[in-house]
Amino acid sequence: MPDRSPDRHAIGLRNVTKTFAGSALPAVGDLTLAVRPGEIVALVGPSGCGKTTTLKMINRLVEPTSGTIEVLGDDQRSMPAHELRRRIGYVIQQIGLFPHRTIRRNMGMVPELLGWDGDRIAARTDELVGLVGLDPDLLDRYPAELSGGQQQRVGVARALAADPPILLMDEPYSAVDPIVRERLQDELLALQAKVHKTIVLVTHDIDEAMRLADRVAILNVGGVLEQYDTPDGLLAAPASPFVASFLGRERGLRRLALRRVADVEVIEGPIVRPSRTVAEALDVADEHGTSWVAVVDERQLGGWIDRAELEALPGSTSVGGLATQRFVATVGATTPLREALDVIVTSRSRMAAVLDGERYLGMVTIDQVAGGLDA
Amino acid sequence: MTPTGTVTGAIIGNARSFIWWEWIFRRPGEIWQRTVEHVQMTVVAVGIGLAISTVLSLIAVRYRWTYAPITWIGSLLYTIPSLALFVALIPYTGLGFVTAQIALVSYTILILVRNIVAGIDGVPAAVREAADGMGYTRARRLWSVELPLALPTIVAGVRIASVTVIGLVTITALIGNGGYGTFINDGLNRQFSTPIVLGATLSVALAVLVDAALVLFERWLTPWARRRSTL
Repeated sequence: MPDRSPDRHAIGLRNVTKTFAGSALPAVGDLTLAVRPGEIVALVGPSGCGKTTTLKMINRLVEPTSGTIEVLGDDQRSMPAHELRRRIGYVIQQIGLFPHRTIRRNMGMVPELLGWDGDRIAARTDELVGLVGLDPDLLDRYPAELSGGQQQRVGVARALAADPPILLMDEPYSAVDPIVRERLQDELLALQAKVHKTIVLVTHDIDEAMRLADRVAILNVGGVLEQYDTPDGLLAAPASPFVASFLGRERGLRRLALRRVADVEVIEGPIVRPSRTVAEALDVADEHGTSWVAVVDERQLGGWIDRAELEALPGSTSVGGLATQRFVATVGATTPLREALDVIVTSRSRMAAVLDGERYLGMVTIDQVAGGLDA
Repeated sequence: MTPTGTVTGAIIGNARSFIWWEWIFRRPGEIWQRTVEHVQMTVVAVGIGLAISTVLSLIAVRYRWTYAPITWIGSLLYTIPSLALFVALIPYTGLGFVTAQIALVSYTILILVRNIVAGIDGVPAAVREAADGMGYTRARRLWSVELPLALPTIVAGVRIASVTVIGLVTITALIGNGGYGTFINDGLNRQFSTPIVLGATLSVALAVLVDAALVLFERWLTPWARRRSTL
């Protein structure tokens, strides 16, 4: 079982430097970085920032020039490289399935190296097929017969075959088209919710990093660690102009994508109960400066009535008997703020009703959404 | 029939003297014996050639700088005319099997080394990286990943080497090793066209047959390449 206490590291790099032969400048310079058990860490940066080199040093595909790397509490050099690698899952961009082996054999490669017997490998293979959502009919095919997305799933299944506590992923989704990529990213998050691996992921795509990672390490050319923080932490307070420019101009919008409606305070909104009169409803509209009121009964959102319609009626008429129009601008508590913003700016009401299933929780306006960024 | 005139005269002589079918039909035993000899010479030469080339190729793949000198020596051996090589070797290894095999094996080295190295080099870098990343040792990676994937290229080399050797074995008959070349020598000595045509035809037929057999063998060895077309 991976240790979840925060002071223990699944992977710990200490003052790690890598200078390749024939190169004057280090690819990675004096990097110290710790990964906690069970978290997804993304290494991001421009090309030449040493992110792939850093990843490959963890499983010793690249040997550090100096510094130490601890894996699961042990110095990684305390065992032969091939034994270390059998304990660490490895997924690469070009996948690298063995063309001469069936999908079944490909998935069983590491267990085979570890000397598992055939029955155990077969049972594990069946389990993996379900875990990564692969069609079992594909097991007896060869890799060339599978689509890119299917091969990617096999690549992940193969890396997880021997149930390693650590998974290293090098640009795992760069070779698939954007639609498949998004689906595979969702699958990884769903998978991670089940398997709780320590995952280190290299990507050049900041959006992918923000989407998948619990913490993001932003590296600059020469393997210099610019900032290491949660996605929200990075967006809220970029440590340097480099980080800010790497995060892009839409930093605020990106932050909104990470936060949810439940993270902000909602307002009660221009609502009236059905038992109220038209005059009272008009007061509510005035108070909120809206041209409409919503009818809410026992936290059930009934619909909205236009102010002009109310003004045409006697003030003592009960609101409950009036025809209402369906409220279209609604969001859920788990809706990302970015989406809520979109709903608000495209609605005539300039507000979105927050619903939890059928229950009315309140309204959000631009002010609430923008206020969410100050937190 | 008594053949007369020069060799050329015998070959371009009238239709009846060009191939004397009855002479051929009277010798099934001898034809079989020459076939066995020819195949034996070929199999031994290609087998030894493959063994030596595999070792040289693995050295060349492991220590890259050795590749140039290895192919340089291979090319040198390849360019020596076979007759000249026999003459050069006879004082040391005499007339016969060893001399013939030295010559035959020499001719296979360049072809086979080039193909084995090209086959291993042709293994996709991602496959190699995946193997390393999963914890394959170098030897295991070579044996169960690189060599199987290099098979089509290696078999292509074996096909060229076999066809080349089958042709050359007709020449090694000159130093007394049997095979179809015996018919040709016999015909040349007696200025009698039938055995010349017989030896040459059988040699070509054997080359075609062996080549086809190796193609089938390769298909059997590499089911993954075959299945690709089913997509």
